Amino acid sequence: MSSADWKNYERVLIPDIDGLEKIDVYEENGGYSAFKEVLTDKKKWEGPKSVVDEVKAANIRGRGGAGFNAGLKWSFMPPSDGGPRYLACNGDESEPGTFKDRKIFEYNPHLFIEGALIAAYAMEVTAIYVYIRGEYKVYIDMMEKAVQDAYDKGFIGENIMGSDYSVDFYVHSGAGAYICGEETSMLESLEGKRGYPRVKPPFPAQKGLWGRPTTINNIETLAHVPNVINRGADWFSSIGAENHPGPILYGISGHVNRPGVYELPTGIPVLTLINEVAGGMRNGKELKAVIPGGSSTPIVRADQLDGITMDSDSLREVGTMLGTAGMVVMDEDTDMVDMLWRISHFYHHESCGQCTPCRDGTGWLEKILLRIKNGDGEIKDLDLLLDITTQMEGRTICALADAAAWPVRHTITRFRDEFEARCKKSVHAIA
Amino acid sequence: MPEVFIDGKRYEYEGDHQLLQFILDQGLEVPFFCYHPSMSIPANCRQCMVKVGQPVKDRESGEYELDENGDRVIRWFPKLQTSCNIKVADGMVVHTQETDELVERAQKDTLEFILANHPLDCPICDQAGECPLQIQTYKYGPEGSRFEVKKVHKPKRVQLGPRVILDAERCINCTRCVRFTDEISETHQLTIVSRGDKNYPTTAPGTEFDDNYSLNTVDICPVGALTSADFRFKARVWEMNQTPSIDITNGKGTNIDLWTRDNLVLRITPRFNEDVNDHWMPDEGREAYRVFNENRVSKPAQNLDGEQVKSSWNNALLTLAEKIEEHDGKEVLFVGSPHASVEENYVLMSVANLLGAKNPVFTPHIEEGYGDGFLLTDDQAPNTNGCRALGLDELSAADLKKEITGAKMVVLLNDQLVDRNVVSAKDIETPFTTVFATNHSETSKVADLVIPITTAAEHAASYVNVDNRAQRTVAAKETKYTNRRLDIEMSEGRLDRYGTSFDNWVTEDNKVDCMPFWNFTSQLADRLGLDLSYDTGRDVMNEISEKVPAFKGVSYSEMDANSGIVLEETSDKTVKS
Repeated sequence: MSSADWKNYERVLIPDIDGLEKIDVYEENGGYSAFKEVLTDKKKWEGPKSVVDEVKAANIRGRGGAGFNAGLKWSFMPPSDGGPRYLACNGDESEPGTFKDRKIFEYNPHLFIEGALIAAYAMEVTAIYVYIRGEYKVYIDMMEKAVQDAYDKGFIGENIMGSDYSVDFYVHSGAGAYICGEETSMLESLEGKRGYPRVKPPFPAQKGLWGRPTTINNIETLAHVPNVINRGADWFSSIGAENHPGPILYGISGHVNRPGVYELPTGIPVLTLINEVAGGMRNGKELKAVIPGGSSTPIVRADQLDGITMDSDSLREVGTMLGTAGMVVMDEDTDMVDMLWRISHFYHHESCGQCTPCRDGTGWLEKILLRIKNGDGEIKDLDLLLDITTQMEGRTICALADAAAWPVRHTITRFRDEFEARCKKSVHAIA
Repeated sequence: MPEVFIDGKRYEYEGDHQLLQFILDQGLEVPFFCYHPSMSIPANCRQCMVKVGQPVKDRESGEYELDENGDRVIRWFPKLQTSCNIKVADGMVVHTQETDELVERAQKDTLEFILANHPLDCPICDQAGECPLQIQTYKYGPEGSRFEVKKVHKPKRVQLGPRVILDAERCINCTRCVRFTDEISETHQLTIVSRGDKNYPTTAPGTEFDDNYSLNTVDICPVGALTSADFRFKARVWEMNQTPSIDITNGKGTNIDLWTRDNLVLRITPRFNEDVNDHWMPDEGREAYRVFNENRVSKPAQNLDGEQVKSSWNNALLTLAEKIEEHDGKEVLFVGSPHASVEENYVLMSVANLLGAKNPVFTPHIEEGYGDGFLLTDDQAPNTNGCRALGLDELSAADLKKEITGAKMVVLLNDQLVDRNVVSAKDIETPFTTVFATNHSETSKVADLVIPITTAAEHAASYVNVDNRAQRTVAAKETKYTNRRLDIEMSEGRLDRYGTSFDNWVTEDNKVDCMPFWNFTSQLADRLGLDLSYDTGRDVMNEISEKVPAFKGVSYSEMDANSGIVLEETSDKTVKS
């Protein structure tokens, strides 16, 4: 299905079925058949590796933001040595503008559980952890119930459905730190430690949770897996953009008439998403800017958006990324200085404080922006801000410093006039 | 042999090396804060950034690919790398701040970030003068500050535990202290709390940082965030002399430095010795600095009509000589001490032999269950094995008590037998007892004659630890009779080397009126007509290594060169005459 034909798209992640969160309803609608087939149909699925190959062929690009081929990631797991191996599912979504995984927890938790089980089988994993953002209290409770139901039905546990495969499934609640969504600090957090990102290498596939091979996948990524098994890799890769295929959950927020989460193919034009899917700009205002995939992805001016579609290749043309496809739409009345200060405030608040450039850089950025916002800034502060971002980027253990620096760099370079207008007209003696 | 190129120079290596440590081992420098050779590597300060590349090899032939000039094609890492956590690999090319502007800039940037929220209160900070942040800022830091907004405020003067005080604003979050309690002392008492630029190390609520090794965190803190409750505000580091020595509070023989000013030992810090204590020492050993300053026996004292009164050296010498002459050699009991050095015990043994007395005896000072398997030992004395190696007769406490009560005259080398309940005060009072003592104690109080001798801080002498390792001290402070500028056994400080006579603080009261045991004994021997004369501990040790088989090959220079020498087990206990 091409992305132009999006109006006829039939939802597969969160289909319009009442009570799908209940395991009985999910089973009635073909639930757990993919997992069952993988486990029992030895003719079609010769073993775990055939599952990895199928998923790799589907080219599910990680929906957590980095966009890495999920099947390829699975293939990095070393051969099993009989010891424990883990799958850690990242449901810590906390980036401003991102709110898609919660819809899976809420409306189709078993699809994700089934996907995680298939992934676990494919990688010969012995235990699955799902790490859910602490603020999602309701969804954590729902997930716990869903996992218990799956245990009761025999989809999780010892010798699942008569096979020789056994796996455990644990739901783990976060405690309010954005940084725990970074994959290695999530592992630290799962181990009961302070959420500090780990130095890589070693990568989690070599030394992950408790020093054992571990793969970390986003919730939405795993939710795609049962459909890939049921309908084939070709079905998946034929949907949406060529290099970034498949259905995707767009989280659209901001100054639009119908903000919300929309399941559609990738590669839909940004303007179509705003004007048709999300019902157009609120109060008929003009579009000013879009943050395409969560607050860390560089902002794009409205005049740059012609012909730009929601996939990594097209977004790269305007110097930004798909991220989590959590799109923030801003109208003409948006104050860019206020907006940027608020984003910087978030990263300042959420920096774990491990690496120097991020710990002290994020605070410095916010404080200068606050000064500009209050009208006390000077033009030279803008150059200092850009300088600080250069000093932060690529110098830290994880990508939070980059995530904090990019919005500052790109918002200032793309809306410099607005920032200059807010600064004091400083007069400095030349000599 | 594998090779690595650092700033264009070729180095060969063997084995596994972390790049930063390898660079430091070559005598080169890259600034760093969080890295510590004895702990895990978090790479969180981001200060030791370097540019690293690996030569490209042809896949088939395995040969290095060459460019048109015949040089190896280098594939550089896309980002700068922290040298602390990268392994040296064959052919690796490294550019440090010396040769690469980007690296120099990155290091400067990191320092700018660190200094942004640092209070810059060096003039009132104890760490000033030995502060890695201060030193590296001078060398690699930015010239000024562009930070014009408000600094973060955090708790100050927090008493983390009985011995350590935290100033969270100075903290740069290197996590060395946290890793120390996790990995070295394993008490897990510290953690980082809060997030981002608000984070700082502290204890769990309601607990205190009373780790037996807590003061090591003060040593490894690269800024003045953790300071010693006892030492803070006492002295500037540049006013003190640093003298290598040995911890005498237990049997481990921890290598230490004595920090002296004005002939007072002001603090004790550990000195690196891979085979003994690594970089660490127990807090207890640091408290021992008081032993060198306080409660010292100064000037001999004599018991006249039931009261101890001060006496002259001459009088003390004559009294002791007379008493010895009054008694038959066999009636005099010489008691050695595991608390005294090898040299002192040897000289005591020599005198006993020359007088025809019984071989000196000693009893070890053991407290069962006191040790922790790390740097605290059951053995409370620094030289138990030294006494054994010399061939002193080892007795149980009860047997020693029997010997003392049965003797007519007792010569007791610095061992507080009454204080540690080996004998009672009464047992000492009965025979004529001469005590050679460094400090006043219940034991010296009841002696008939008290002769003040030097401590480990005032003489160079050797101690043999629980693992049979002989190590020596260096004289750090003057007595009434020594002069740091003339005594070659004395350590030389910065002020001795570069200052004038007026730069060193000199308070005469801080000099103790005491003498090395061998010096007093030489005078005594002269008076008694015995053939025995020593000038320094070095002379004594030279004789020991000749005459006592266990100490064969042990000398001050050998001990210095090898950070101590492990004595070989020998069955030959005979002392050559």
